[in-house]
Amino acid sequence: MTSPDGAGRRAARLLRWYPKSWRSRYGEEFAELLIAEISERPRSRARTADVVRGGIVARLTAAGLCGCTLEASAQVRASLVSLGCCVAIFVDLGAAMWSQLTIGWQWSEPDTAATTVAMVMMSAAMVALLGLAVAATVPVLWSAGSRLARGRHPGLLGPAALVVACAVIMFAGGRHFGNGWPGTGGHPWARQGLVPGGMAAFSWASTLSVSSYWAHPSALASFPAAELAWMALSPLAMAGLVVGAAALVRRTELSARVLDYETRLGTAACAAMAVFLGGCCAWIVDGGPGPRNLFHAGAIDAAGTVVMTIAFVAARQAARTARLGTARAR
Amino acid sequence: MGSVPSQRTAGGPEPVLAGFGRYAGPATLILASLADGAKHGYALTKDIESFSGVRLAPGTLYEALARLQAQGLIEPVESHDRRRPYRLTAVGAQALQAHLAAQRKIADLGLRRLARSWGIA
Repeated sequence: MTSPDGAGRRAARLLRWYPKSWRSRYGEEFAELLIAEISERPRSRARTADVVRGGIVARLTAAGLCGCTLEASAQVRASLVSLGCCVAIFVDLGAAMWSQLTIGWQWSEPDTAATTVAMVMMSAAMVALLGLAVAATVPVLWSAGSRLARGRHPGLLGPAALVVACAVIMFAGGRHFGNGWPGTGGHPWARQGLVPGGMAAFSWASTLSVSSYWAHPSALASFPAAELAWMALSPLAMAGLVVGAAALVRRTELSARVLDYETRLGTAACAAMAVFLGGCCAWIVDGGPGPRNLFHAGAIDAAGTVVMTIAFVAARQAARTARLGTARAR
Repeated sequence: MGSVPSQRTAGGPEPVLAGFGRYAGPATLILASLADGAKHGYALTKDIESFSGVRLAPGTLYEALARLQAQGLIEPVESHDRRRPYRLTAVGAQALQAHLAAQRKIADLGLRRLARSWGIA
């Protein structure tokens, strides 16, 4: 037999697998059940595995990635937040790859049809994602702004300030460091590429931190201090932007119509992500060997594609759960 | 799979449990257990084990309880104890009745066919 204290400690340890919101609702009664179970059968791997699995499912449910145990609009909001985070990770990595390629195209066109098609697909998807991001942001900012203007802003001011500050940092940094790159259309040697050079430069500078130079500290040490500082600061600003936007979506009481609209945009974003991934895979398979090739795909691109695929799968799941939530809300 | 459409009885209630996927089994056992009165988690586990031989693990039990509660099929009972009991709602009782009636149809059909083709009564 396990002592009551011992069973209580083990139950408390197992309970940690569950998210805080779940623990505050079911924690006490679930701990009582676990204590009774442990007292009766002190050792059971199957029980531990079941609790761990249940905890993971509860965490995925709280993140809006599965299940239907949350209240409908809370589920849609949680799903949209997860979807937004996945899209942000996807776009950050995707923009880093895409900007390298489009900067390459400023100098010379790809020499294979597959890479050309891949780049057109990636560019079209990136423009679509940009448009969808703007379309998704407007109603959220409008709802949050109107609440702030009416003085009904419990907990909105902080996230709104964070979003604005991080957006300003990203824009100013992207503009500043983008202008310093010679191969982005402004240079007389550069030819006209697939997209305007300024756009490629901004995208490149904004995602400067996504770099294989991190694995080569000696090469990194030769970078200007300001550039190194930007490589360290920009991911934090990007993370702040995402965290602030997520808090706004969670705390702004978006109407059912807006949630439905955002869910549709999320589904469209998943389609754009699929197109981008298709182009990305085609480029990686086709990209010529050797670092002197402007369109060479490196290990960081392959690793980035794997992470983007995971983000895509999670985004699709979040979009599906959001659709189930909007259907329940009707 | 034919089991999901078969739960829809003519003019009967919607097959609520059909949407439970792999939790349909535990959900049915829980609803059946609660049909004779409110029970807390451990009492549910013991009762279900006694009538079905299935011991629901704690994680599975509470996933199913959360889903059933979200669908309005069960509800918690006010309690000063840390072990919160749950009871069946009217909607839950209807859903259980529809589900079990559909299962009985399948069971009757299977038994008739076994008797006819295999001689097993």
